Amino acid sequence: MTAMSQAPADLKHLYYQMLRIRRAEEAIARRYAEQQMRCPTHLCIGEEAIAIGVCAHLTTQDKVFSNHRGHGHYLAKGGDLPRLLAELYGFAEGCCGGRGGSMHLTDLAAGFIASTPIVGGTVPLAAGYAWAEQMKKSVTAQGGASAAGGRTPGATNVVVIFFGDGCFEEGVMHETMNFAVLKKLPLLFICENNQYSVMTPLAERQPKRDIYKIAAAHGLTAVSGDGNRVDDVYELAQAAVANARNGLGPQFLELHTHRWPEHCGPNEDDDLGYRNPGELAEWKLRCPLLQTRQVLLAERLSNDAELAHMETKLAEEIEQAFARALQGSRPTIERMGQHLYA
Amino acid sequence: MRDVRVMSYGEAIREALDDALAKHPEMLLIGEGVPDPKTIFGTTQGLREKYGAERVLDMPLAENGMTGICIGAALAGMRPVLVHQRIDFALLSVDQLVNNAAKWHYMFDGQQQVPLVIRVIIGRGWGQGPQHSQSLQAMFAQVPGLKVVMPTTVGDAYHLMLEAIADNNPVLFIEHRWLHHVHGEVDKHRPAAELSGAALLRQGADITLAAFSHMSIEALKAATVLDKHGVSVEVVDMRHLNELDVDRVASSLAKTGGKLLIADCAPEMASIGHQLLSKLVLAHRNSLQQAPRLIAYPNHPVPTSHFVANDYYPGAEQIASAVLEILDKSELTESVIRDLQSDLPKDQPDRSFVGPF
Repeated sequence: MTAMSQAPADLKHLYYQMLRIRRAEEAIARRYAEQQMRCPTHLCIGEEAIAIGVCAHLTTQDKVFSNHRGHGHYLAKGGDLPRLLAELYGFAEGCCGGRGGSMHLTDLAAGFIASTPIVGGTVPLAAGYAWAEQMKKSVTAQGGASAAGGRTPGATNVVVIFFGDGCFEEGVMHETMNFAVLKKLPLLFICENNQYSVMTPLAERQPKRDIYKIAAAHGLTAVSGDGNRVDDVYELAQAAVANARNGLGPQFLELHTHRWPEHCGPNEDDDLGYRNPGELAEWKLRCPLLQTRQVLLAERLSNDAELAHMETKLAEEIEQAFARALQGSRPTIERMGQHLYA
Repeated sequence: MRDVRVMSYGEAIREALDDALAKHPEMLLIGEGVPDPKTIFGTTQGLREKYGAERVLDMPLAENGMTGICIGAALAGMRPVLVHQRIDFALLSVDQLVNNAAKWHYMFDGQQQVPLVIRVIIGRGWGQGPQHSQSLQAMFAQVPGLKVVMPTTVGDAYHLMLEAIADNNPVLFIEHRWLHHVHGEVDKHRPAAELSGAALLRQGADITLAAFSHMSIEALKAATVLDKHGVSVEVVDMRHLNELDVDRVASSLAKTGGKLLIADCAPEMASIGHQLLSKLVLAHRNSLQQAPRLIAYPNHPVPTSHFVANDYYPGAEQIASAVLEILDKSELTESVIRDLQSDLPKDQPDRSFVGPF
């Protein structure tokens, strides 16, 4: 385990990271109306605590895979903000050169391998990546060289896959859990249960039973928790990452949360009536930022002036990120056919 | 320097896998039945013993998940070879193959690559039936970013397998099951240049026969007999399916007076045979001097019963008849067919091919 993982949660730092995602998403939502970000965009407002609480335990050597709602995971893992924004605008300087848009993100330097929008598509890829890490470690161990780098001997890089409750219905999810347990992979399954697949509630899609218990039945170490409490997520992830790193096999966290905006796009959509009456309002009271801010102030870990300073600092960063992204260039038609083959 | 040995197509694949496992420490060989006692028609024999269970392994019956897992391992620097004993099983993995493997390098702007080989076996015989003997190569060849190769000769099987494994792209490697027992030469020091484009299997002057996989073997059979009757057939094997070498076919047609017969081993609808014809007409509009013909399978699934399955598959006899029709020499058909006729049932390529598997 790294020193970072043993430390208690630095709540102020976690709050700042969550706030960064929230403000970046809000800025995207505001500018989306300008019709210049011309791709399907799924915002993660309301769900920030999960990405931050989990990624707090990862190094750049650890890898993350994600899904269509991936901005938060990308930023939490250290993905470059201007390149994310440039990708939304379709510029050549985007993280995928404009080939992906919001639903295809990558930042290899940060260890964020990929997000893609076929539900379940990246789940087995994460397991394959973890399998390769495990094999490489075994080869290194046989060769006698030290790859541990200050970690517990035998510790390995871990891979994290973020997915939603809808993904849990995909066959490939269960195929992957089976193999992950069979090979005791250093892999974390992070299920963000926000109760809706697009606009269809969980009760129409799954029988009444806990998702994490199905994972446990596959043989994973599986627990559930409050995905809107960043301190809870941090603690659960701390144990899970340590277990995966130290050869105890794949770990599964089911974290309950709620998406505030519409499934895809910059607006709210409570007027459509697919959520239960009062449901969104209730979840807003359980906002991960609000809850953390209350603790920070109550326990005098921060103060109004410091929180205001955070806002100013982030507003500047995000403004500069947009300015930089908007300096991007159009990808050329001549380049369009490139990279069909490696 | 030449290092030529005679072996079967199946043995050539085994040898290529063996040599690649030795050369690439990051290579994995995985699939349902890979280390089992039947060793995928002999193509994986002894490899687990030699390279260990970590690199040569069986897998859960989860074709889509395991394809994704192999893609993930490839992203992390491994070089997996995933085997499906029937192409029909690979249909379960089309999501991962098409949405991920084929597009990954492109959609992430060249930053990542997927060195992955998918071995699939097509073919016929002994009542394989509707879900064990499909010929879906055109469907896969249509996907941008997925290379599709279908070697016919023993030498090509060895070298194209090595090339596929060394390739940093996903390659679908298609083996016709009736080729596994065919014997031929492998020259390990064959120049790489001989592996690109179409392969000229037989020189001829009267007509060009462009054929695919096992149909190239049938074409050679027909050509040998036709030769005895004074008809000279050139056989061109179309081994790279999404880089169809139409130029090679056109240059053959320049020699054979623009007379063309295409022999495909798939249902006729939207087949690669049609694609070849279409590309030829568009790129070399004057190459054809006479109406071409296309031989392919009927557009319905193959039934299991050997009483009817036999008539589903065209072979050397149909090829010879079509050649003689194109050349306006139908008076020879009866005697050529007589020479071609064998007493083997049509659901067996030779006496060694027996049921039940």
